[in-house]
Amino acid sequence: MTDPGRPVPTERSSEPSADAPPAVRTEGVWKIYEQEPQPVEAVRDLTLEVQPGEFVAMAGPSGSGKTTLLNLIGGLTAPTRGRIRVAGRDLTELSGPELARLRLEHIGFVFQAYNLLPVLSALENAEFTLLLRGVEAGERRRRVRALFQEIGLEGLEGRRPSKLSGGQQQRVAVARAVVGEPALVLADEPTANLDSATGDALLRVMERLNHERGVTFIFSTHDPRVMERAHRLVHLVDGRIASDVRQAVHRGERDGNWAADAGGRAPGAEPGGPGD
Amino acid sequence: MRARWLVLARLALRNTLRQARRSALTASAMVVGLALLMMSRAIGDGAHEQWITDGVRLALGHVALEAPGWQASGSLDDRLDSAQVSAARRAVAELSAPGRTGRPVRVRAAAVRLTVSGLASSPGSAVPVRIEGVDPSAEAAFSELDERLASGRYLEPSDRLAAFVGAGLADRLGLHLGSRLVLTAQGAAGDVAEQLVRVRGLFRTGIPEVDDGLVQIPLSTARQWLGTPGAATAVSVLLGSSQSTSDAVEALRARLGSHPATAADGPGDPPGAGAPGIRVLSWKQASPELESAVRIDDFGFYVFMVVLFAIVALAVLNAVLMSVLDREREFGVLEALGLTRAETGSVVFTEGLLLAVLSGILGVALGFGVTWLLWRHGLDLSALYGNDLSISGAVINPVIVPIFRPARVAEAAAYVVVIGGLASLYPARVAMRIDVAEALKFDR
Repeated sequence: MTDPGRPVPTERSSEPSADAPPAVRTEGVWKIYEQEPQPVEAVRDLTLEVQPGEFVAMAGPSGSGKTTLLNLIGGLTAPTRGRIRVAGRDLTELSGPELARLRLEHIGFVFQAYNLLPVLSALENAEFTLLLRGVEAGERRRRVRALFQEIGLEGLEGRRPSKLSGGQQQRVAVARAVVGEPALVLADEPTANLDSATGDALLRVMERLNHERGVTFIFSTHDPRVMERAHRLVHLVDGRIASDVRQAVHRGERDGNWAADAGGRAPGAEPGGPGD
Repeated sequence: MRARWLVLARLALRNTLRQARRSALTASAMVVGLALLMMSRAIGDGAHEQWITDGVRLALGHVALEAPGWQASGSLDDRLDSAQVSAARRAVAELSAPGRTGRPVRVRAAAVRLTVSGLASSPGSAVPVRIEGVDPSAEAAFSELDERLASGRYLEPSDRLAAFVGAGLADRLGLHLGSRLVLTAQGAAGDVAEQLVRVRGLFRTGIPEVDDGLVQIPLSTARQWLGTPGAATAVSVLLGSSQSTSDAVEALRARLGSHPATAADGPGDPPGAGAPGIRVLSWKQASPELESAVRIDDFGFYVFMVVLFAIVALAVLNAVLMSVLDREREFGVLEALGLTRAETGSVVFTEGLLLAVLSGILGVALGFGVTWLLWRHGLDLSALYGNDLSISGAVINPVIVPIFRPARVAEAAAYVVVIGGLASLYPARVAMRIDVAEALKFDR
């Protein structure tokens, strides 16, 4: 699972280097939707820094700005004011094609509604970003099959999304998001439509990827399981950060054979942070 | 980069096939439109070819070689002398000779005619007529007058004082088969000459000016009577297809322009008898009214084509646009995964183009099939127009045989593909401009 030119984070390397830029940094970001009868301030003067390898959950009531913030970080929508940096690059200064390239090479998305492409099989969906990146066919298949084996999708490679259960679809979506080894995965309510067992399994996959490969995860969630297992819990209320708490995590009992116990220190596990 | 475009093309193909019913309905509009277009174009071309062929067989042919002033004066003074007639005949014979440079031209027949205006008199009355001296064998191959026999027979090579007379004229002069008829016209020397002939056959074309005013007599008789040995007013050429006309005209002009006999009066010609050269006229110049009829009909076809393409374009636009609006979330996902807006638009454009290309292939196949059926039996319009359909003074065969022209088929198919592509541009633009964050909202 190696991209030429990009060092693969190992378990040891999952700890961020001291001089690496933050995975995400937002500075005084506003997102205002102009609509009648009055504009809606979805995100208000929000400053947040997420270090590489963090496993962050953003919680908050509906309308608190979680999804908008994810969209802003993913470059899917532009801030009304403020700056957003991803891997040191200022999104507000990037052109459309440059943003697209950044998304393709550095960011993976997992959506609440799975959003698999219905005309592609599970395997084709999972390898889609690799295809766009021009990864050779053998390598693509090898990576996807290995990942499918790990997340329990073996044998389902040829199925179209309509022939997969919700949990299976979401696992394919996670595979699609991480197969290219992005530095950052943005997951919008990834477990909202899943039963508890499937949701747990999926979380374990993401925890393992975070732990072993140093992938930074930022979730928006209402799910207590996600909040409980996040290293850092950011509460949003009315588009602002109400609290930002780093928390200790105990996952060993439920990790099964998918994720090793996170006995090591979770990045930035002590409480407190930029948004506090 | 190439791999990336292949991915997008594959995605577009899958999307096209995924909406099978919608794609099939849209494609069917294009397929039927193209097939209709091909069929109507083939019928139109067949009808035009028939109009032209039928018209030129009763007139001066696809190409006429004559003295420069004859069209305007109709006078024997503006005739081709014997040397010019020989040169013209040789040039015509060379048109279909093997080894000739340029595109091949098939000559179906060539007829030498000596035509004058005069009077036809019977004991009871006299009527102004056009008198054509013709070579019976060549004329039978060239004109269809012999096929319009009302009674008697057509002229034969051994005939000397025979006449083939329009049935209307015969009625007006009270002539019957075997009746004697006196033809009067001004001869080459300027004197008024008379010639007695006997009616051997009557024809009826359905065209009043021909049936009431034309008399054909043997060429040798006409030359002797008018004092114009070896002369003719025109050498008329009937080609395999009207499409070859410009090639034939060009070749004849090139050939005759360099022939000494065409440059000046030949030795022994009477003073002022011959024009300085031979004028080569296409049927369009000789029968401008026939060309106008074809042009007007073509214009009608183009109007039909524009309407048809507008319908096809709207069908494609509607289907592709609906498909785009149904799939906003999908396009949002594509952009989230790393496609640029241009690439997202190109997926939609490719879908429309694929549909158009596929429809083009099927439309050509259907068009061939339908037109082939019509070609086998011909399209009989006699129930609509009867057997005396005439256009610009020419009686037209009411059974139209469609003509396939590869260039026409390629043109029609290209139009459909271009229309399909153009009609996809707007939906592609819509796909490019979607609000990704809005499209990805879970509760949409």
